[in-house]
Amino acid sequence: MTVDPNAATQGFPSPDPAHRRPGAARYLVPALVAGAVAVGLGVYGKVHDPEGTAFNLAGFNSTGAVKSWLATAAMGFAVVQFVSALMVYGRLPGPSWSGVLHRWSGRIAFLVAVPVAVHCLYALGYQTYEPRVLWHSLLGCFFFGAFSAKMLLLRSERLPGWVLPIVGGLVFSALTVVWLTSALWFFRTFGVTT
Amino acid sequence: MKRSGPLFTLLAGLLVALFMLSLNATTGTRSTSTGSESSPDAASVSPTPTATPAPSEPSPSPSPSKTAVPNGDYAGRTDDDSSAVAVTLRDGKAVAYFCDGRDQESWLKGDVKADGSMRLTSRSGGVLTGELTGKRIRGTVEMGQQDYGFTADKAVKPSGLYRATATVRGAEVDGGWIVLPDGRQVGIVKRDGKPAAAPLIDPETGAVTVDGQQLTARPVTP
Repeated sequence: MTVDPNAATQGFPSPDPAHRRPGAARYLVPALVAGAVAVGLGVYGKVHDPEGTAFNLAGFNSTGAVKSWLATAAMGFAVVQFVSALMVYGRLPGPSWSGVLHRWSGRIAFLVAVPVAVHCLYALGYQTYEPRVLWHSLLGCFFFGAFSAKMLLLRSERLPGWVLPIVGGLVFSALTVVWLTSALWFFRTFGVTT
Repeated sequence: MKRSGPLFTLLAGLLVALFMLSLNATTGTRSTSTGSESSPDAASVSPTPTATPAPSEPSPSPSPSKTAVPNGDYAGRTDDDSSAVAVTLRDGKAVAYFCDGRDQESWLKGDVKADGSMRLTSRSGGVLTGELTGKRIRGTVEMGQQDYGFTADKAVKPSGLYRATATVRGAEVDGGWIVLPDGRQVGIVKRDGKPAAAPLIDPETGAVTVDGQQLTARPVTP
């Protein structure tokens, strides 16, 4: 397979051309994609008029409750992510299938978080009117950028050993704050309801 | 060979997002197809409320046959052009809102008789008397010392009557809006009972920002 990601860097006014140092593209492409995703989501949320409503799921009284429970599910899988990552890196004793556990819990967490983000951006938008909301908006966009970077970095071979733990830790921390500023706030404000 | 699993993960997330967006775009404001949507639609009342027999116990005839007064929304201005009046009729009941957009407003409720006449009252003693003829309600609102004649024409979405209630930073916020057929809005937001001019709502969605808090004003039904 050719290193097609280089194509993305051609328009980038980089002082040292990427084709001379193939290692640079390994970081540059994920970083650019992450930036594009995060900024793109934020701009979408800021520019378009919040719709106020979106469709709801059966059995829930409010979209806030649906989102809080989905986000809590994502947070649960994220904790599994953290623990299974420690097992993969041998910091905790773990079974041989901890790598599979890590991959699939991550996938589920991501796929559960996507509908929540879609609803946030579609119905509410990027808001800054109080610190909780500002941090939630900011880190929500950051989360999806960082996650994209993490996924793309996984495709690179021979990365320095610290890269994936750092980026994964950023993703996990971002999701934690996003959850604290939304679902936990929701449950504390409205009670643990459906 | 590079791992492609992560790419598939990202792609799956993108597909889910696009699917949700298309679902929102097609069902978001139109129908309440999915489950127990809590927001009522203005043009067509969501199926559940209409299916339940309307609270018309005193009437001997079952509610479906009560076709004398058609459901509808009406909005217009007072004769002196100082205030706006909106009336919503559903199954022989009416709710009305009288609002000058500054400091005077009143919610009125009551029954509509089979001949189209109505007498609606508010908690503070205001009275609206009116008569529906064709596509127009003509009547009077008594507010305090003053009487206001008004004419309200049949309104189609998005014009009509909207209300939003919420708690914003500890204050009880209660907003009422009349969206007139020409698109103008007259509204008042009360914060802990103190009235003030209301910010504009987005009549398509009811979205409105009050004191920095995003609220959704919903169509009012009796």
